[in-house]
Amino acid sequence: MADLTHDAFTYEEGWTAVSPRLVTARRISLALTYLFVVVIVVVLLVVPDVPVWVPLLVAGIGVVTFVWLWWLIGRRVRSFGYAERGDDLLVGSGIMFRRLVIVPYGRMQLVDVKAGPIDRMLGVTTVQLHTAAATTDATIPGLEPGVAAALRDRLAARGEERSAGL
Amino acid sequence: MSGQDPSRIGDDLGLGLTVPDIGPVDASGRRRVHPITPVVQGVSILPFAVFLAFVSGGGILSRLGLGAFAGAVVLILLIVGVVIAFGYLRWRILTYWFDGDGDLRVDSGVLTRKERRLQLSRLQAVDVSQPFFARLFSMAELRVEVAGSGDSRVKLQYLTLAQARALRNEVLARSAGIHEDAGEAPEDLLAKVPARDLAVSLLLRTRTVTLLLLSAGFLTITVMTEGWGGLILAVVTGGVPILIVVSEFLRYYGFAVSEAPDGLRTRFGLLRTETRTVPPGRVQSIELVEPLLWRHWSWVRVRVNIAGVGSDDNNNGKTETLITPVAPRGEAIALVHRLLPGLDFDALEWRSAPRRCRRRSPIQWRRIAVAWDAVVLATRRGRITRRLAVIPHARTQSVRVTQGPWERALDLASLHVDTTPGPVSVTAPHLDASAAWHVAQEQADRAHRGRGSDTSTHWAAH
Repeated sequence: MADLTHDAFTYEEGWTAVSPRLVTARRISLALTYLFVVVIVVVLLVVPDVPVWVPLLVAGIGVVTFVWLWWLIGRRVRSFGYAERGDDLLVGSGIMFRRLVIVPYGRMQLVDVKAGPIDRMLGVTTVQLHTAAATTDATIPGLEPGVAAALRDRLAARGEERSAGL
Repeated sequence: MSGQDPSRIGDDLGLGLTVPDIGPVDASGRRRVHPITPVVQGVSILPFAVFLAFVSGGGILSRLGLGAFAGAVVLILLIVGVVIAFGYLRWRILTYWFDGDGDLRVDSGVLTRKERRLQLSRLQAVDVSQPFFARLFSMAELRVEVAGSGDSRVKLQYLTLAQARALRNEVLARSAGIHEDAGEAPEDLLAKVPARDLAVSLLLRTRTVTLLLLSAGFLTITVMTEGWGGLILAVVTGGVPILIVVSEFLRYYGFAVSEAPDGLRTRFGLLRTETRTVPPGRVQSIELVEPLLWRHWSWVRVRVNIAGVGSDDNNNGKTETLITPVAPRGEAIALVHRLLPGLDFDALEWRSAPRRCRRRSPIQWRRIAVAWDAVVLATRRGRITRRLAVIPHARTQSVRVTQGPWERALDLASLHVDTTPGPVSVTAPHLDASAAWHVAQEQADRAHRGRGSDTSTHWAAH
């Protein structure tokens, strides 16, 4: 089989990136999480006897980490990708800690398709492959629902053809 | 090796409480576990009940006007009574039989009814075990494990030892696709671990020695500074390894491996005895572990991953699945050969990690290597505790390449071959990045080809 890439972590032809809408979905979740920080800051401002620098410090840390995570989400989403080959599926992810998984179709035990409320609103879906090994971490987030369903059906069909017990 | 018949190892204590077998309960062939089961369960809870009563319970009841001793006795009887009553209800519901397709069916559950069907062609292991209190009644429990994620086993509690063995043989025979009345397969003792070797090896494991040295250090500091803080630390760092050594010694005492046509059989245990039968071709991956201080005797521990076994054992969390807790290297390799015939360790061509790997792993870098032949992939790592892991291509679940920031700076990457959950992980860390990627792709191809020649279901029917 021809190499799709010369280096495990540079994606070339044949690779599919995930939908950029995943960036929006993840940024919305991030913003919702940070509402909690806003609440803390407001409470600290309202409560008497708390020196003013305390809420300011919390807010400062909040803003810095928020901006950093906001930027990181963009990069992380671009790092996801997958490629369907003749006998196996490749799934890549990660920036700092990069990872590439090769799952032979015949080893797939089940394929999950799932989407949370925000994901559904924006039309992104996660496809997750399971083998008999718990350490197989093959998750493709951020697919459009139609693409995800088609991928699942293709994977299931190929898995069926090549399945060979454990 | 003693002249003892291997099939007698780990037998019941009896103590004159031997109870007769009972036959099937109804015409359709549905069977029940032994009626004495609730009593055995009640007796088994006694130590816990006594502990509870004397630690706390006696005090509470004595305030109700009973004496402390009488209160404790009442509480113990109450606990035992409840356990026996609930055990009786469970006994009434629990039935097992072989259905028309030859699969094992079990109906159970008092509040939530559960009807379970075990597809015996996917059998992974069968255990006959005798917990200490069940041994007093010469009772045994049978655990049947099939492939599946999560809880994919049944436990039949309790049968007489003879019944449990007969049922085990029947399950194995049906799984192999041969006649159900094949009887017990003759077996061949391969290796036995002397108690002295077991004790010495457990004491000299790297983890035990490190913790004991650490507590010696704490004690020295305590004596020198005349403070007391170190003493508490020393109790923890000294107590934990001693507890582990004692419990593993009791667990693996008298470890014996024998080979039968229906699989590899391991027996072990001093208070609680266990017999595990693993049919051929069920071993997913194998690891040889050599701690630093074992090398004087060239001892090796052989661990394996078996699908479904030890992954979520609710008795004692993660349990190691061992082929032998300790054995001389030659003997261990002979055992590995039984599991993977045709594997030749000396013929493997090892591809080592590059020299720059020493900047990532200064101690183990020289040992890190990966090798493969027509049947297996092997990885080697660890300098203080040497680890050699082997996985047949046909058992490769998936292949992963990972790279952390430091590895990336050095152009290194780690190769992982995923196997079913268990103590073994097949990993070659910090290889040259493009070499790791190359091996990973080739391994995926080999896994694909290796699966073609898989014969792990109905192994005796060929």
